[in-house]
Amino acid sequence: MLIVPCPNCGPRNAADLRYVGESRPRPDPNSASAKEWRAYLYERANPAGLLRETWYCRSGCRRYFTLERDTVTNEFTNPPTPVAKLGKRP
Amino acid sequence: MLTSTRTECGSVAELPAFESPVSRSFVSSEGASTEPRRSGAALTLHDVSATTKIIVRAGPETAAHHQLHASFGTSRTEEGVLVVGQRPDEWIILGPADPSRALVDRLDRSGHVSVIDHTHSRALFRLTGAEAASVLEKLCSLDWNDHMTPDGAAVSASVAKVTCDIVRDDLDGTRSYLISCDRSYGQYLFDAILDARHEFGVGPAGGPVG
Repeated sequence: MLIVPCPNCGPRNAADLRYVGESRPRPDPNSASAKEWRAYLYERANPAGLLRETWYCRSGCRRYFTLERDTVTNEFTNPPTPVAKLGKRP
Repeated sequence: MLTSTRTECGSVAELPAFESPVSRSFVSSEGASTEPRRSGAALTLHDVSATTKIIVRAGPETAAHHQLHASFGTSRTEEGVLVVGQRPDEWIILGPADPSRALVDRLDRSGHVSVIDHTHSRALFRLTGAEAASVLEKLCSLDWNDHMTPDGAAVSASVAKVTCDIVRDDLDGTRSYLISCDRSYGQYLFDAILDARHEFGVGPAGGPVG
């Protein structure tokens, strides 16, 4: 089971999230060539190693976020600290 | 006769009667055991879907964001109404109709603020009892221990593969959870919770709003 560290909800089962894909900068639509658009839309680096990727927390905070994962070991490097802690009522 | 096609004007919440998403026929099912199979493990599951449910979305720069005063993952009670910080910029107001609407009416609506009454589009169940966390553990991957989800904690998670909003709202020191999901999944989720409770014993009840 893959545990994904959501920056809002904390560690979550990957089944609670949706894998969006590799995270890459979007080309400037005013200057990008057709070849650059094609590469952005269809080509993937697919490395055996560190990969920056986007996840969507569909069952939790419903936010998109990016993480860096080692595709060989499935370890997340520098996982974010959750911004919120579940707490008792004030 | 009620149909799924609306022909009149006005908000859905103004319909004269609330129709539960859960079939009452199940309540009297002979197969549903109401006796706990462990001593001191009394559990109850109530359908409280008629509770007013208002979802407020407010950007961090708005006055309403600060007025609601319940940070993400927490909840608080104000004049008998539960204010739940369900998502970073989203709150759910749960409670009796008049105080809930009064609380929402006091909000400053300036800026990026939306208020939608979801009373008729969401099912809401209350699972109460010492073993309530054990039942949830069978259906959901989250940690339901006190140190992770104390009284007042609010989370969203997959319960029996249905995306649900869950608030821990203890009653007189007894562990209790409010579980809400889309209305169309209400019957399924109710049955799934009843099924999960089997080893602990739980009495299904379709009582009044609680």
